[in-house]
Amino acid sequence: MTDIVQSAKTTATRPARRWRLPQDWPSQFLSMAVLALGAAIMLLPFIWMLTTSLSRKANQSMPRIPSFWPTDPSLFNYQVAAGSLPIGQYYLNSLIVVGLTTVGYLFFSAIAGYAFAKGRFPGKTALFIVFLSTLFIPFETRMIPLYHQMASLGLTNTYWALILPFLAGGFGTFLMRQAISSIPDELIEAARIDGASEFRIFIQIVAPLCAPTLATLAILNIIWRWNDVLWPLLITSDRNLYTVTQGLALAGRASGIKVGVALATAVMAILPVIVAYLFLQRFVIRSVVSSGVKG
Amino acid sequence: MEPKSPPSRQDSAQEGFGSRLSRLRRRFRGTLVWYSFLLPPLLLILTFIGYPTLQTFRQSFFTRGMGTAESFAGLDHYGRLLTNTVFWGALGNTVLLGVAFLGIVIPLAAALASLLNRVKRGSAPLKVIYFLPQLTSSVAVALMFNYIFQPDWGLLNGGLRAAGVTETPLWLADPRLSFTGSRAAATLLAVWAGLGYFIIVILAGLQSIPRDIYDAAALDGANGMQTWWHITLPSLRPTFIFLIMTGTVDALARFGDLWTLGGPGGAPARSLQSVVMFMFQQGFESGDVSLAAAAAVVFFAIVLAVTAVAFWGFLGREFRAVR
Repeated sequence: MTDIVQSAKTTATRPARRWRLPQDWPSQFLSMAVLALGAAIMLLPFIWMLTTSLSRKANQSMPRIPSFWPTDPSLFNYQVAAGSLPIGQYYLNSLIVVGLTTVGYLFFSAIAGYAFAKGRFPGKTALFIVFLSTLFIPFETRMIPLYHQMASLGLTNTYWALILPFLAGGFGTFLMRQAISSIPDELIEAARIDGASEFRIFIQIVAPLCAPTLATLAILNIIWRWNDVLWPLLITSDRNLYTVTQGLALAGRASGIKVGVALATAVMAILPVIVAYLFLQRFVIRSVVSSGVKG
Repeated sequence: MEPKSPPSRQDSAQEGFGSRLSRLRRRFRGTLVWYSFLLPPLLLILTFIGYPTLQTFRQSFFTRGMGTAESFAGLDHYGRLLTNTVFWGALGNTVLLGVAFLGIVIPLAAALASLLNRVKRGSAPLKVIYFLPQLTSSVAVALMFNYIFQPDWGLLNGGLRAAGVTETPLWLADPRLSFTGSRAAATLLAVWAGLGYFIIVILAGLQSIPRDIYDAAALDGANGMQTWWHITLPSLRPTFIFLIMTGTVDALARFGDLWTLGGPGGAPARSLQSVVMFMFQQGFESGDVSLAAAAAVVFFAIVLAVTAVAFWGFLGREFRAVR
């Protein structure tokens, strides 16, 4: 990020002059060539997937030498995929689950973070350790009892089972506590003297001031929840409750699925995320790096 | 909150004991509000994280009968687990895939990040492209690569054939331990998917190295190679340790892509079964919850050990330096 800003500044302040090759142009050129080659390798699978998904012939026979241009472009595979899978329903399910977990996760993380950053009450350190300790418990260690717990609560095959386990966690609380700690105490004190309740201070002062951190947390949570497949596979067996990722995983493993149709399904599953990413790319990359947590 | 304030103002208007009591009450309410903020998330954490985690430990020491009866089994399930060749196979796969992945992705990402740091223009779109697979679910990546590795018409073998290779490998269809087998294919897939994240984190590390160190080295007449070896690499130490730590934990928990490639059994011939897939299969398909719970405890212990070693053993030095 900083290099972009810096280069923008230098080009702005530099007196206008004819563009010249930089002095180190051979090494610049070589670096660029290697990076471009790497980028091409990164893009090839996507392009091949798109081409193949647009080819009707791909379901019967594939060329032995891969082609990157559809010889018979048609949306046939997409029609078949959309006809055989309730992909609209999958999208709705993913939106409901991801939306509600994200709203809940942000709210509970922020409100707990506020209490830990600005509150004064007995047992604060002990409680903070309880919250933090969840950071060290991978989801995989508790998935089996969690499944039985959901079953005994009668929540299997409901949205609740997909939402409840992910509403609160140590990571979000920690991130929000860090952000809220940097808000000056005077600001909160002033609002308190004006008679605002703590909850009102939280909603009207604290939350807007840490909007960037909330956005970071939202992006991370959306990536995690949208791409999660382990828990939905365990807890949901009702086709009408499948998330997009789960539906894709099960469709991809179904026997007898055709190449073109399978790849068309994959394109439909990842396209919205990629489009959203292309619009928000700078912010998404910064969120993932600044938190140091991978999707 | 407006309707509540008039009575409390009345309270404080009273004298002596009454006002002291109201001050106490107000102070109590002052702490109560924080507890009320913490209670809902705390309940969620205890119910959906704390309780099932304790249950995992408990289940690993008990045997569930047919009905509701449970009997204490001591370390029996751990004994069964440690003599279970499928478990050792899954653990071996997980470690092997993780080590191969990190061994390839970190040097590769370091090289590409150094190049990205050097180029004067055009690095922004390149970053976006390298990061793109990070946003694609591991399931979609695996589905795509399942076809890319297809021996007869897949993208990779097609490319090899176009380049003149006649004996093309079987990739995912070959369960043997080889550089062209299923594990190699799963590693290539992971490198492709994870590279962008490693590049971006290393790039951030590179950009946080102060410029004046390089200027001083240039004054001392250090050449590019010497600067890289004596300044760049040591400065990136915390970045590398961080990446190895988080990368190891992620590799240990690997599931989605391998499940999509080979099902819970990690086909072909269990060559792609990870520890989490073993837990999944034992706990849900074979119904051996106790064995799965024992595996989960072992998994937990390994993750915790990796984190602790990385944290205190390596990163500890950085934290002490900061303090």
